[in-house]
Amino acid sequence: MAQIPNLDNAPLNLSSLRDQSRKEIINILTNIRGSKCLVVDPKLGGSLSLIVQTSVLKEHGAEVRHLKADPVQTDCTKVVYLVRSQPDLMKLICSHIHNDSSKGLQREYYIYFVPRRAIACEKILEDEKVHHMMTIGECPLYVIPCDEDVLSFELDLAYKECLVDGDTTSLWHIAKAIHKLEFSFGLIPNVRAKGKSSVRVADILGRMQVEEPVNTSDMAVPEINTLILIDREVDMVTPMCTQLTYEGLLDELLRINNGAVEIDASIMGGPQDGKKAKVPLNSSDKLFKEIRDLNFEVVVQVLRQKATSMKQDYTDMTTTSQTVSELKDFVRKLNSLPEITRHINLAQHLSTSTSKPSFLARLDMEHTLVEAESFDICFEYIEEMIHKQEPLLNVLRLLILFSVTNSGLPKKSFDHLRRELLHSYGFEHMATLSNLEKAGLFKKQEPKSNWQIIKNDLQLIVEDTNTANPKDISYVFSGYAPLSVRLIDKAIRYGWRPIEHLLKLLPGPHSETKRSGFASSTSFDSLPGAAYSTNKVGDGRRSLALVVFIGGVTYAEISALRFLSSQEGMPHELIVASTNIVNGHTLADTFVEKLG
Amino acid sequence: LLLKESWELAKSPMASKGAPLHGPRIKLIEKAHNLFSETKEHVFESKATEEHAKLLRMQHELEVTTKQPIFVDSSISDTIRTCIVLGNHRAALKVKTEFKVSEKRWYWLKVFALATIRDWDALEKF
Repeated sequence: MAQIPNLDNAPLNLSSLRDQSRKEIINILTNIRGSKCLVVDPKLGGSLSLIVQTSVLKEHGAEVRHLKADPVQTDCTKVVYLVRSQPDLMKLICSHIHNDSSKGLQREYYIYFVPRRAIACEKILEDEKVHHMMTIGECPLYVIPCDEDVLSFELDLAYKECLVDGDTTSLWHIAKAIHKLEFSFGLIPNVRAKGKSSVRVADILGRMQVEEPVNTSDMAVPEINTLILIDREVDMVTPMCTQLTYEGLLDELLRINNGAVEIDASIMGGPQDGKKAKVPLNSSDKLFKEIRDLNFEVVVQVLRQKATSMKQDYTDMTTTSQTVSELKDFVRKLNSLPEITRHINLAQHLSTSTSKPSFLARLDMEHTLVEAESFDICFEYIEEMIHKQEPLLNVLRLLILFSVTNSGLPKKSFDHLRRELLHSYGFEHMATLSNLEKAGLFKKQEPKSNWQIIKNDLQLIVEDTNTANPKDISYVFSGYAPLSVRLIDKAIRYGWRPIEHLLKLLPGPHSETKRSGFASSTSFDSLPGAAYSTNKVGDGRRSLALVVFIGGVTYAEISALRFLSSQEGMPHELIVASTNIVNGHTLADTFVEKLG
Repeated sequence: LLLKESWELAKSPMASKGAPLHGPRIKLIEKAHNLFSETKEHVFESKATEEHAKLLRMQHELEVTTKQPIFVDSSISDTIRTCIVLGNHRAALKVKTEFKVSEKRWYWLKVFALATIRDWDALEKF
């Protein structure tokens, strides 16, 4: 099965979006004549694999390599670099070129920045005296569809850059990406933002509309009705909890990368030779589409049911004589067998981890932390984890959870835990602690604690959660409803106004704007009310709401949003866009200062 | 400004990690310590840098006496563990008292270390 997801069922015409990106890449290749070597930034390589197959690139005369420290080994005289605008990558490229010229190799160099060039990067090229040797271009890939209802801006470091380094380039990228979407699908009339970065993005978006307006007159009704922007900073509790949906758990334990997991082939029933197998995960796999959003407990039951009904069919088959149509039916069912086996293998692998007592103890602790009612128990548990020198990221996840739910820690405990942590893991983690403090994730206590109010008012803890037949989004964490999704739910249904007192307790400002193409541009002609007259698109489909997470979204949250979207009384169908897809580990990891 | 400068200093010894000369690193850390101690908000940081410098010195000594270059840049806990694993209980105790390691952590470390070298008798005894 292909890793490139099938987008035919997408609520928006995302294939056109992908085709456009594909065309951009192929254009670059066809504009450079002859054979060439395409050197791809490894991070981009993953995103590329969601857009275009390597074989297609080869058809256009390109050898594909990943950008590494070693010089490029190729016979081609033309080298094309496709990179993000990161200074360290520039250094690599420079060293390649110096290496080539020291060997007397004459090559033509092209460099394409994704999604746009940065002056800082070109400066490095100039300093290294290679700038004049290259042709520089841009490859405007701003949005990459990961699945039918998920878009990614592929900005992994956005969260830390904004919070710790004060670098807001990524916000411009996000606004640009949304603006580009508006060119294809019409101006989005309602914009609601919560959080510092989100409000900034909404502002930039407004300015872009003034400078380069989307023409609204040739589209009757915009396909996207509402845009919700939300900062990850607003809800740091959710990503720190262990996700319990099937897809979320796969990500927690195996890491989903660009819509696929890589695991030992032996787990998937292959030979025991230590080889890795890549398993694609997207909604082209019908069974996966059915079970990805379910709580893992239920997934096991569903799979068992499927397997037994299969077996039943099989025994029926051998005993009685069948008509041709029944046979056909049976054979069609057999076709789904590989999918069932695949997920049974995966689920079995996951359950070896989830049944461990340490895993269950951790879940228990997370729950206690979120309830935020027994400070001492949590404190001792985390202290003991540090003493046992458990993996640093595990500790950091719980520490962040602990700090956020208590609005910071009392000075004494704060200093004590910091000291124990430095003693156990080494003083080099000073920088990490400082990053976390700057981001407000692990800090000294503030006088008033807001978490209790937020928790109670938004009903984040749901006591009797029915995971098999869920009535509320809290099923994704077996009893905790993600704060972010609760907010989004309210925002879509009623706007910010009814929950303003709560929003004030959460970090960052909020804003709400109504836009029409004519209010912001100075043109005088007007179309009567076409911009936001109705929620229904012509053919009876619901109109869309685009939910943008700045700083990353977890699979569990996506699942919860899908659940919301499928509920009755929800005025819009939801699609999710995010800077990237995260979990507690990857998020905490961005704050750990890398040394050496 | 002082704040920024001190952070940079704190990071610089880490940037020069792996450098064979420990002397300059310790000096840098001590300089950072002085800068931190000039402001009131950085009591914690200044204490930590002070301890860091002390730790590096001790590790250096340990490396000289044991002739094994395995101590520098490991954490305090790791240092204690290594000492116990090597059977050097006195050195471990010294590190413990020097940095006021709590009893709780001390026992965890000791159990882990004794288990790694399979010294079940010693484990039994305490």
